[in-house]
Amino acid sequence: MTDRPSILVPIRVLEGESVPEGVPGLLANAHVVLLGYHVVPEQTAPGQAQMQFEERATARLDEYEAIFEEAGAIVERRLVFTHDGQKTIDRTIHEHDCMAVLVPNATGAVDDVFVAVRGTVGIDRLARVVAGVFGAMDTSITLYHVVETEETDEDIETLLDGVADRLGELGVDESKIETRVERDLRPLEAIVDASEAFDAVVMGETDPSLVTYVFGMPADQVADRFLGPVLVVQHELANERDE
Amino acid sequence: MDKQPVDVETAGQNVAGEEPAAEPEAVTDDTTVHDDDVELERTIGLVGGLAIGIGTMIGAGIFVFPGLAASNAGLAATVSFGIGGLIALLVALPTSELATAMPRSGGGYYFISRGMGTAYGAIVGLGLWLGLMFASAFYLVGLGHYASAVFAELGVGLPFSPVIGIGLLFGAALTALSIGGTENTAKLQNIVVGILLVVLTGFLSYGVLDAFGVFGRASAPEHFFSRGYFPVLTTAALVFTSYLGFAQVATVAGEIKRPGRNLPLAMVGSVLVVTVFYVVTIFVATSAFGADRLGQFGETAMVEVAREFLGLPGAVAILGAGLLATFSSANASILSASRAVYALSRDALLPRKASEVNLRYGTPHVALLAAGGPILALVATGQVELLAEVASFLHLIMYGLMCVALIVLRRRNPEWYSPSYRVPGYPVLPGVGALASFGLIAFMQPASIAIGIVVMAVTYLWYRYYAGDVKLKGDI
Repeated sequence: MTDRPSILVPIRVLEGESVPEGVPGLLANAHVVLLGYHVVPEQTAPGQAQMQFEERATARLDEYEAIFEEAGAIVERRLVFTHDGQKTIDRTIHEHDCMAVLVPNATGAVDDVFVAVRGTVGIDRLARVVAGVFGAMDTSITLYHVVETEETDEDIETLLDGVADRLGELGVDESKIETRVERDLRPLEAIVDASEAFDAVVMGETDPSLVTYVFGMPADQVADRFLGPVLVVQHELANERDE
Repeated sequence: MDKQPVDVETAGQNVAGEEPAAEPEAVTDDTTVHDDDVELERTIGLVGGLAIGIGTMIGAGIFVFPGLAASNAGLAATVSFGIGGLIALLVALPTSELATAMPRSGGGYYFISRGMGTAYGAIVGLGLWLGLMFASAFYLVGLGHYASAVFAELGVGLPFSPVIGIGLLFGAALTALSIGGTENTAKLQNIVVGILLVVLTGFLSYGVLDAFGVFGRASAPEHFFSRGYFPVLTTAALVFTSYLGFAQVATVAGEIKRPGRNLPLAMVGSVLVVTVFYVVTIFVATSAFGADRLGQFGETAMVEVAREFLGLPGAVAILGAGLLATFSSANASILSASRAVYALSRDALLPRKASEVNLRYGTPHVALLAAGGPILALVATGQVELLAEVASFLHLIMYGLMCVALIVLRRRNPEWYSPSYRVPGYPVLPGVGALASFGLIAFMQPASIAIGIVVMAVTYLWYRYYAGDVKLKGDI
C-alpha cells in the first residue's frame, strides 16, 4: 500500500448535496477531507447561519462521515459557513494539503479509470493520486494524452512511459495500465468525448487564463459534462497568499 | 496572527430562557473556529473593508452638509470637519486595537460588553442599532433631497415637496432588496465607492485650482471665522455623522480576512481618506460662493457649486454622485444595523428569533425588517439635522466607551487580551479620545441630547427587564 492521498470532498451540506452512491467505495483507500459548507449571502453574517443551521448540518456530516469510514477511508471533517464557497474550498485544500479534489457524481463499481495526462508538470502528484486511490482496486487505468503541435512522438512516449513507470513504482500492476494518444483535437473536447466510456476521470488542475476566466476551468467543464466522479489533482502549493 | 485563543466566558439567560451563544474557540486569519471543526470563513479583504468605511462616510457629509455647515460656521466649517476627522481618528486607533484583539461581529458593542460588562454593552449595542437607524434615516432624507433636485433639474414641477416620499420609497426598496438577497451587494458597493472617488477627485481638483485663481477668477477672500468660534464646535457636532462609517467596519470584524492587519488599515485609512475629501470639499464650496449664499442652497448646495464651475454637465455629474453616495451610505447602514441585531440576539439581549435566517433567500429578514421599519418612521419626520445629531450622539457614547474599555482592558490586562495592533501614546490618546467623544455631545442641540438620553434610558430598562442575568464580561 502506498500513502493514502488526501482527497477533498466538498459538499453543500444544506442544499441537498449529499455523498453520491458509489463515492465512498471509490475513496475507500483515501484520506478523505470531508468539507460540508454553506454559502450565505452577503447581508447575512456567517455566524447567523451557524446559529440556526449548525445542528442540522452536523447531523448530516455525521452520517456521511460514518459512510466513508465504513467503506474504509480515514476521514477528517470540517463544517464551514461562508460568503464565498470557492475561497473556503481553496483554503481547505491549502490547510489540509489535499492532493486532489473530488467532484462528486454517482458511480457504480469502478472498473476502468480515465487519466488525462497533460504535460510533465505535476506528474508525480497525478501518479500518487491514481496509485493511492485505485492501486489496490482491480481497476484498469488508461493514460490519455492529446498531442500538442510541437510535441514529437518521442516526447509523448517518454511522458506516458514515465507516468506508467511511476505508477508501477507506487505498486500499481503495470499490466492494468494502457495508454492512448490522440492528435488534431481540442484537448477539452477530446477529453470529454473519450472519457464517456469510463467510470471515473482523473485530471490535473489548470492555471487560470483568460479563456478559463470566461468559460470556467476545464476541470469544471469536464465535471459538468461527465456524469461520473472527477478527481482534480491540485498543483503543488505555491504558498503565497493574496491580500 | 496564527491561532489566537478566545477565552471569554458568557453565562446567564434572558427572560425567554435563552443563553448567549457559545463563544468561538479561536480566531485565525481566515476563520473563526468553533468546537474544533466548525468554522466561519472570513471573506472581506482590505479593499472591501475600506469600501464599507469610505462608502458609508462619503455620502452623508460631502453631499448633504456643505450648505448646512457653511451657514452655521462660515468658511471655518472646514475646521469643523477637521475636528470631526481628528476625533474620528482618536477613536479609530483604539477601536483598531480592540478589533484586533476581538475580531468578532458586532464591533463596538462586542468590545464594550466583553470589556466592561453587560449593562454597558446593552446600552451601546441597542444604542448602536438605533443609532444606525437614525443615521440611515438621515442618509435617506439626503437621498430624497438629491432625487428632488433631479426633478427640478429636469424641469418637472411638482406641486408638493417629494423629499420625504422619495426617502420612504428608497428606504422600503433597500430593505426589500436586502431581504430578497441581491447577490453582489459588496461588489456593487466597491464599484459605487470607486466611481464616487473618481468623480469627486476630478471635481475637487478643478475646484481647488479655481479657488486659487488659476482660471483667472480668484474667489473673494472671506473672513475665516465669520460666525465666531463657538459655531465651529456646534457644527463639528452636527457634521460628525459624516464620520460614523469607520465603526461600521468593526460591525463586520468577524468577516474580515487577516483582521490583525486589515481592520486597523481599513478603519484608520477610511477616516484619513474621507477627512481629506471633506475638508477640501468644504473649502472649495465655500470659496466658490461664500458661506451666505452656500447656506441658502441647503442640502443640495454641492449641485450649485458644480454648476458654478462646470455648468450643467457638472451639476448632473454631482447629482448622480450624490444619489449614489447617499444610496450607498443608507445601504451600508441598514446592513450594519442587521449585523448589530445579530450580535445582540446571539448574546441573548434580543430574542434569538430576531436573527433568524430566511430559508428561501438565506437573509436575516427579521433583523432587516427590524432595521427597515423604524427607519421609515424616522424618515417621515424629515428632520435632517436632528436625525444626524441623534445618530452622532448614540455613536459618540459608544466611541467614548470604547476608549474607556481599552483603558480598562489594558489596566487589568487579562490573559486573553493580546491585540496584534497596539495604540500608540497610551493612556493619553485613548483618554483624549474618550473626552473628545463625550465632549462633542455638549455642543449638540438640546433636543438631540434629550432624545439621545431617552433612547439610552429605554435601552437600559430593556436590559434590566429582558436580560438582567446575562453575563458577557470577559474574565478580567
